[in-house]
Amino acid sequence: MQIKVNEQTIEIFAGARVKDVLRKYSHAEWTLVRNNEKKVSDRYGHEVGLDGELNGDEELVIEARDAAEARS
Amino acid sequence: MRRARSAGPVPRLLVFALLGVVVLSSCVGVPPPPAEARIVIFHSNDVHGKIDNFAKVAAVIEAERKSGADVLFFSAGDNFTGDPVVDRYEPPGEPVRKVLDRLRLDVLTIGNHEFDYGLGTLRKLAARFPTVSANLEARPGVFPELKPWVVLMTKSGIRMAVFGLIQIEPVSGIPSTHPDKIKDLRFGDPLAKALEMKTLRASGEVLIGLTHIGYKQDLLLAGRMPELDVIIGGHSHTRIDPAELVNGVLVAQTGADNQFLGRIDLRLKDGRVVEKSGRLIDLGLMRDEDKKIKAMIAKFHRNPALARVIAKAPFEITGKDDLGSLMTDAIREAHGLDIALHNNGGIRLKSLPTAITLKDIYTLEPFGNLIVEIAMTPDEIRSLIKSSFEKQDEIDLQVSGMSYLIRTDGNQKIKDIKLSHPDGSPMAEDRTYKVGLSSYVASSYRFDHQDPGRSLQTTVADDLIRYLQSGVDLGVYRNVQRAFWEKAAESSRD
Repeated sequence: MQIKVNEQTIEIFAGARVKDVLRKYSHAEWTLVRNNEKKVSDRYGHEVGLDGELNGDEELVIEARDAAEARS
Repeated sequence: MRRARSAGPVPRLLVFALLGVVVLSSCVGVPPPPAEARIVIFHSNDVHGKIDNFAKVAAVIEAERKSGADVLFFSAGDNFTGDPVVDRYEPPGEPVRKVLDRLRLDVLTIGNHEFDYGLGTLRKLAARFPTVSANLEARPGVFPELKPWVVLMTKSGIRMAVFGLIQIEPVSGIPSTHPDKIKDLRFGDPLAKALEMKTLRASGEVLIGLTHIGYKQDLLLAGRMPELDVIIGGHSHTRIDPAELVNGVLVAQTGADNQFLGRIDLRLKDGRVVEKSGRLIDLGLMRDEDKKIKAMIAKFHRNPALARVIAKAPFEITGKDDLGSLMTDAIREAHGLDIALHNNGGIRLKSLPTAITLKDIYTLEPFGNLIVEIAMTPDEIRSLIKSSFEKQDEIDLQVSGMSYLIRTDGNQKIKDIKLSHPDGSPMAEDRTYKVGLSSYVASSYRFDHQDPGRSLQTTVADDLIRYLQSGVDLGVYRNVQRAFWEKAAESSRD
C-alpha cells in the first residue's frame, strides 16, 4: 500500500502502522518523533499515534512540536 | 442511566434491540422525551490493554454522574492487545473486562484486535456489555451476543440509537487480524451498512455511530449521513481535540493507549439536539483516582501467568546465534514460511534460562514487532543481507530455512553472498521464497523487493511463545550457526 509522508509517497507492506511508515521514510525523522521532538499529524492536522493502523492512501505530516508540547 | 444498578449479565441499560424499537417508537407506550435534557458521553478507543489510567477515568466519570446529568460511557473498540499484563492474563483480556465492568460501560463496538484472543473471549466481553457492529455477521448461534445496533434510554428519558461499524482492509475485505480468528464471521462494507442505519433516526432523539473504521472513513461517513448527531471513532489513533463538526455531524476520537478520555456534551430541547461539542481530557494531568479500581489494576499487574514456566531447556540458550535461530525457527514454523530473518538488535537478552517464563519472552523481544511476509528472490534476499551487514559492519541477521556466507575483501567490502538451503545445496535463483521479517526489519532496512509484503498480524513474541509451548526440542539450540562471514585473509580457502 502507499502512504504519503511529507508529500513523499512511501510503498509499504499491507497492515503497516504509522511508525513503520516513518521508519521507512527517514530514520532521522523517526528518531525525532520517537524522542517527542516532532509529532505526526494526518492531512487534517490531527495528531496520530505511532501505533495507528493504516489502510492505504493516508497522508502524514511530520512537524516540530512547540516547546510546551515537547516538555509534556 | 435508568436501571443503572441492576446486576448480572443483562445490560444495566434499557436496551430495545432489533426491530422492536421501531415499533416502540411509534407506540403510545413510549413516553415523550423531556422538554430539555443534558447528556454527557465519555468515550475511549484503542486502549490496547493500557489499563492504568482507568482509575482516573473512573474518577472523572463518577464526578460527572454526581452532577445530575445523563452520563454514559462508550468504547470505540480495540480494548485488547498491546500489553502482556492483559494479553497474557488467564483468561486473556480479563483485566479489561473487569475494569470496564466497574466503570459501568454502556456500549461498545468491536475493534479488529477484539478478535485476537479468539471469538470465545470476545463473546464473554459482548455478554457483559451491549456490543454493536452493523457490518459484522455471524451464522446463527456463532455470536448471538452481537447486535447491529441498540437503543439506550437515559435516565431523563432520552432514547439514543447507537450502531457500530468495524474496519475492513481494502484488499482482503476482512479486519486487520489473523484470518484464523474470524473464519466463522462475515464482514460487509462499513459505509454501505451505515447507510442502512438511516432509518434508526426515527428510533430515538439521538443517533450515534460508534465506529472502529479510522478517521478518514469517519469523515466519509459524516459526509454521507447527516442524520447522525455524533460519530465516536477509533482505529486510526487520531487525536481530535476539540471534536469537529463535519456536515453537521460531530466527529470525535481520543488517540490511543488510554492517554486521553473523550467527553461529548449534548443539549436537547423538545427531543432534538440543539447543541453539541466534544473535547479531550488529558489523563496525564488528572490527579484523582478511584482507589478500588487502582487496587484492582495493581493486582492485575501482578499477573502470575507471566512468571509461569512455559518451556524447559536442557541448558541456557545463550548468544545471538542460538537465540536468533530459536526466534527465526519459531517465526518460520508459525506461518509455514520458507525463510525467516531477525536482526541481532531485536534480541534483548543474553540468554534464556532453563525454565523459560512468559516474562523472559517479553524481555527477549519487548517491542511488539509484527511479522511481515514478503515474497523475495535470492537476489532480493542478498540485497537485504548486504544492507544489514553494511549497517553494522558485522553479521546482523539471524536466519531460519537457509544459511548464508558473506565474503568480504581486505577493506571489508562485500565481494559476494552465497545462499544455501539448510542441507547445504544452493538456493534456486529462479524462484521466489516466502520470507518472514519483523516489521522493524521490513521498514527500517533498505533492500530491493518487488513485493511490498503484508503483515501476518502476529508478533515475534506471539510466535515464539506458541513455538515453545508446542514442546519443541530446545536441545538443538547450542552452538548453532547459520550466518557466516569470510574475511579476505581467509579467502585463500576458495
